[in-house]
Amino acid sequence: MHLLLMIGLVVFSIVSVLIHDLLKAAISLAAASIFLALIFFRMNAVYAGVFEVSVVAGLITVLFITAIALTRSDENVNESKYHLFIFPLFFAGLVIIDVLVMKNLLGRIPAISSPETGSFGDVLWKGRSFDLIGQIGVIFAGVLAVLALFRPKGKSAQGDKHE
Amino acid sequence: MNNFWILNMGAAALLIGIGIYCLLTMKNLVKLLIGIEIIAKGITLALVASGFAKNNLMLAQSLVISVIVVDVAVIATALAIIISINRHTKSLDVRKLTKLKG
Repeated sequence: MHLLLMIGLVVFSIVSVLIHDLLKAAISLAAASIFLALIFFRMNAVYAGVFEVSVVAGLITVLFITAIALTRSDENVNESKYHLFIFPLFFAGLVIIDVLVMKNLLGRIPAISSPETGSFGDVLWKGRSFDLIGQIGVIFAGVLAVLALFRPKGKSAQGDKHE
Repeated sequence: MNNFWILNMGAAALLIGIGIYCLLTMKNLVKLLIGIEIIAKGITLALVASGFAKNNLMLAQSLVISVIVVDVAVIATALAIIISINRHTKSLDVRKLTKLKG
């Protein structure tokens, strides 16, 4: 079951890269996110799975579809025609390197640490509180960047145009 | 447990490789963002798999949530920049962004 979910995750990721239609690529990426969330649920990572479904499969897909709808242009971007030949070779090479490296990792798994105490909230709010401050800063920076990019042209900019 | 961790890390490495291929070869700006998103998926899978194997799942989940929040901010800002570029150049082709070319 876990292997099937991983194959689904990798296949949908490949489809989202290779498919020409951007809308289908965004939907394929959302499907890959759902597979990843199912893998998280199977590993008992419930909070990460919920975030993956709601934020990555939901919010980011909505952002992608909105951006694709706002940037509909008549001119198609000409991608290389050799992807159908290059990608399978690249992927086969990647799988071979992956198997060789992972074979060397056998038996080198890090030692199991002592079990965590407290709830997830304790770990997130008390253990990683410095990260949370950084996350708040990143969110504000993102909001300010989007506002700066979409601000209407002010009087000064119009005045510059007339000059 | 060991084989399970290695299987997960193998899938994470594949996802990161696919994302890097997308970043290196694609010319569409939205496709480049999709590549970044696939790399982020690989990283979150590696984090959760390592947390599961090391019996440190809560710490791994808090790190994954940090990664997802940063990822959302990056994607939102990048899509806003792409829309702005599209208004100026009427195209999504990365080869047409030559204004700063020396």
